[in-house]
Amino acid sequence: MLLIDAIFIGLLEASPLILAAMGFTLIFYLNGFMNIAYAESITFGAYFAVLFNVVLGAHFYLSIVPSMLLSGCLSVAVYLAIFRPALNRGVGPTEMIILSVGVSFMLRYGLILVVGPENLFLNEPDITYLQFMGMGATNLQLVALALVFLGAGTLYWMIYNTGLGEQMRGLANNHDLAMASGINPHRTSVAIWFIAGCAGGLSGVFSGVFAQVTPYMGWNVILITMLVTIVAGVGSVRGAVVAAVVAGVLTAFITLVTKPLYAEVALLLAFIGVLTYRGARTA
Amino acid sequence: MDYLIFSFSLMLVYIGLAQLLHVQFGLLGIPNFGVVGFWGLGLYGTGVLYVSYSMPLIVAILLASLITAAVAYILSHLVLQRSGQAILAATLAFAAIVATLIITEKDITGGVQGLGTIGFPFADVASRNVIYFFLLMVVVVLLIWISAKLRDSRMGRSLIAIRDNEELAASLGKDTAGTKRGVFVLTCALMGLLGGLTAPLHQFLVPYLLAPSLTFAVWIALVLGGKGHNLGAMVGVFATFGLFDILIETYAPVPAEQAILLPNFKLFCYGVLLVMIIMFRPAGMLGVDGPRTRARPATTPAGDASVKEG
Amino acid sequence: MKLEASNLTKAYHQHEVVNIEHVAFGAKGLEGLIGPNGAGKSTLMGLLTRRIAPTSGDIKLDTGSGVKTLNPLKSHEVARIGLIKTNQRIQGFDSLTIRDSLRLAMTPPKDEGFMSVFASHRDPEDVEERVSQLIEAFPFTDRNGYARSGGEKKLLDILRCLIAEPKLLLMDEPTAGLPDDITRTVMDMVREKVADGKMRVVVVEHDLPLIWEYCDYVHFLSEGSILFEGEPEEVKSNRVVAEKYMGV
Repeated sequence: MLLIDAIFIGLLEASPLILAAMGFTLIFYLNGFMNIAYAESITFGAYFAVLFNVVLGAHFYLSIVPSMLLSGCLSVAVYLAIFRPALNRGVGPTEMIILSVGVSFMLRYGLILVVGPENLFLNEPDITYLQFMGMGATNLQLVALALVFLGAGTLYWMIYNTGLGEQMRGLANNHDLAMASGINPHRTSVAIWFIAGCAGGLSGVFSGVFAQVTPYMGWNVILITMLVTIVAGVGSVRGAVVAAVVAGVLTAFITLVTKPLYAEVALLLAFIGVLTYRGARTA
Repeated sequence: MDYLIFSFSLMLVYIGLAQLLHVQFGLLGIPNFGVVGFWGLGLYGTGVLYVSYSMPLIVAILLASLITAAVAYILSHLVLQRSGQAILAATLAFAAIVATLIITEKDITGGVQGLGTIGFPFADVASRNVIYFFLLMVVVVLLIWISAKLRDSRMGRSLIAIRDNEELAASLGKDTAGTKRGVFVLTCALMGLLGGLTAPLHQFLVPYLLAPSLTFAVWIALVLGGKGHNLGAMVGVFATFGLFDILIETYAPVPAEQAILLPNFKLFCYGVLLVMIIMFRPAGMLGVDGPRTRARPATTPAGDASVKEG
Repeated sequence: MKLEASNLTKAYHQHEVVNIEHVAFGAKGLEGLIGPNGAGKSTLMGLLTRRIAPTSGDIKLDTGSGVKTLNPLKSHEVARIGLIKTNQRIQGFDSLTIRDSLRLAMTPPKDEGFMSVFASHRDPEDVEERVSQLIEAFPFTDRNGYARSGGEKKLLDILRCLIAEPKLLLMDEPTAGLPDDITRTVMDMVREKVADGKMRVVVVEHDLPLIWEYCDYVHFLSEGSILFEGEPEEVKSNRVVAEKYMGV
């Protein structure tokens, strides 16, 4: 029973993480560096939702899509303004990560300077608590879960079954060959950064509605996202999904048997262990 | 006045940390993103040994540094031969583990209530904080001097070779894994030592001190000053901590209602500075450009330069 | 110095790249290893220097003062015994000057410990002298600077290995990417050292005239196995070699 509970709660809680890990993985795979500023795609997704839902008064469900799209646009803007020029200058992978830390600081604290450091809340839609076979969840959680799986499924399909996914893999594996065979690297990269930003934004909207919207919310999950991605292996979107689900279920399980903070420690230790024994050739 | 001495003492600690990071990353290419974790082990180790076990301060500091070394040794076996990005993520995770355990193990560390009080040495001297400041200065100057000597030594040359091409260095008979491990453990232990030396400055330890922002502040300082330059770390700390935490926070005429946003403004500026430096002057303020500029295509696979051994 | 491998195999995904019953290098002075593309020459070189782990088999090194099994050793330990390999692909230390790169190769690891930080001089006279001597012998564009072209880097790679004074040197396609006259200077230098009894050499090459000219003994590798061994004249006139390699 404990295990089923853990899996159920884990899935519910991991759903934003799955999206974030997929988006993070896409950029990691395409450009070969860990984009810590991806945290801000998540945060900004939630803040855009606040803009539509609280400031403009739209229904929560209606504000999901525009928030997601705006987050995607932000991601593209950051890519075009900062990351692409840096990559073209030949900045190495570790320096790119440091650069992304800088971008992350800039966006996060810029946001705080504009809207203030206070925690905000989204106007949740009417909540009903549903019970099914002894397990309970709110309708909002179920909608979120469904949307996450829809989003994740679409993303998955896009990567493995469409021309865009193929172009991305071509670019990541052999840039020159891909260019020679007529792939437009610019358009593909912009598309990937947009999709990744959207995934992060959606993840942020749900994290925000489940708890609260804070300037640090993206930052708080970026470490786990990073580890999930590395453990999954470069560019393995499949791996990222599996690792995110496992991470979610594991956290839920340990939280049920002990304290939540121990769950975090155990999860991080598990990641270091996996890195040691299997991460050798991935990143 | 006391506050200013406190700030300057803290700045020395930052310079020391950045200097050690210069050895780890600038010379040897190990991206240690767990600086605050090693520093924090030294800080809290000293605090616990001093407060709960009533050890003399100096003994507590040295013992805490040894504990830090032991932890670094274990970590070095786990991840040091992995790729740079894996090391980065693992050390970041390590620092998060330390910070969390400080909160959960409240029987030992005092948890969120905090741990104290750690007294200054030379308690009966009036200007003990000034003396302590100069003591810190000696330690930090020593660190800078040794790392400058290191850079121009035979050992430094082999470190640079390992950073550039580990497999090639191994094929010439250099024990690359052993060297990396040795340098990593030693420099992490020194980070722990600096942490221990910070304990009397703060006097009262709270988990908030172990926030990852310290790691990033040190990294930003190093990159800003120039990761490959001996004095880059120092200049970087002057330009960040010195300028913002000391100069602006102490002297800028900011109205009270805006003062609360000042730390956020500071971190925003750090971000902007960091982006500008990497975009326009990647070698840092003091840096000279490398022997050749490596032009790479905009999209490359994550083929990191690091190498694994069989 | 004799390097022996027995029952050595290496397979990638069940596909056997190398399968050698027995081969010995270093018995004859300057030896050549030839074979068609994809014969497994580079894999064999990697196996011998422990950069690639074998699927099965033993590699033994007879240093004159006892036989050592290389299997449990790491690649730097192999190098310390005196077995060093030049690289086919261009490799280098981007932040070291030509001089520093050579000094590094000549400095024994025991002199690179922490105490070297406090040494008053970085490198002893004899190192400086040997480095200058070697650099003067070749037309580097900037003798006090960095290796510029691919050719200079390739040359530097070979010189690094020479100055490290191995007992057995493996050269993986030394001519590729180097101008003819430089190759000759290098090979003459190598031959001289071999003649002085300072080291033994194995050259992997596609440039057959060079093999015939310099080598005392030639191994022929094809499809992962040693098919023929002998003096250059014997190999040249061997029917199997002619069929499999020279396309006669």
